[in-house]
Amino acid sequence: MAYVLFTLSVLLVMGFVGFSSKPSPIYGGLALIVSGVVGCVIVLNCGGVYMGLVMFLVYLGGMMVVFGYTTAMAIEEYPETWGSGLEVLGGLLVGLMMEVVLVLWVLSLDETVVVSFSDTGDWVIFEGEGSGLIRGDSIGAGALYDYGRWLVVVAGWTLFVGVYIVIEIVRGN
Amino acid sequence: MTLTYMNIMLAFTISLLGMLTYRSHLVASLLCLEGMMMSLFIMATLIASNTHFPLVNIMPIILLVFAACETAVGLALLISISNTYGLDYVHNLNLLQC
Repeated sequence: MAYVLFTLSVLLVMGFVGFSSKPSPIYGGLALIVSGVVGCVIVLNCGGVYMGLVMFLVYLGGMMVVFGYTTAMAIEEYPETWGSGLEVLGGLLVGLMMEVVLVLWVLSLDETVVVSFSDTGDWVIFEGEGSGLIRGDSIGAGALYDYGRWLVVVAGWTLFVGVYIVIEIVRGN
Repeated sequence: MTLTYMNIMLAFTISLLGMLTYRSHLVASLLCLEGMMMSLFIMATLIASNTHFPLVNIMPIILLVFAACETAVGLALLISISNTYGLDYVHNLNLLQC
């Protein structure tokens, strides 16, 4: 269990290979949701509780739902999964094989890549000085509304204009 | 921890390759674009947590906001293509073919 973060990152790469091998988009969306869950657990493992929550709500709960029903509108009758046809299966197997070979190769190196894998000083998360009650990431994201006041105004106006752009694109003529 | 960063950068590169290659659907490339944004989000959050620099957490949130906006525009284009041609096959987009 000491290397759970590394295992999760390997699972993340495998999930990414799953939708990058381009099956039919409904299966690609499924792989993206699984990869999103794994990525969220990676973020949670490093102490980013608020960022993990934001990712779950906004990304998986918002954008993937929109992707899901848009894909359901534009799907064909017999969607192509990972086992049907040689292109998707070949891409998936090549990607998985590449990941396994790369991980085994880097693990077998004795010298350092940047810092070597068995250097356990890398895995220790140092606590700050007595500020354990305040989560760092929620305070940092809350500073968006303090130091980043103008950024909030500009981003809000950009999104407002973006909604009008989307409406005009969908309306067509 | 360094190998975790290597894996996340590898995930970004695999999504980039997936976005640049077309098979039959256009929405599959949009999915790979979403994967790129997600890997960037994870990378930035890990760096913010590991270097104990909480203010950097602003960057992944703003990245996620604009990635959502970009997804909306991409899906709107997909819907208009799907309304014109029936499906979002890439070989339907041949108006500029000589």
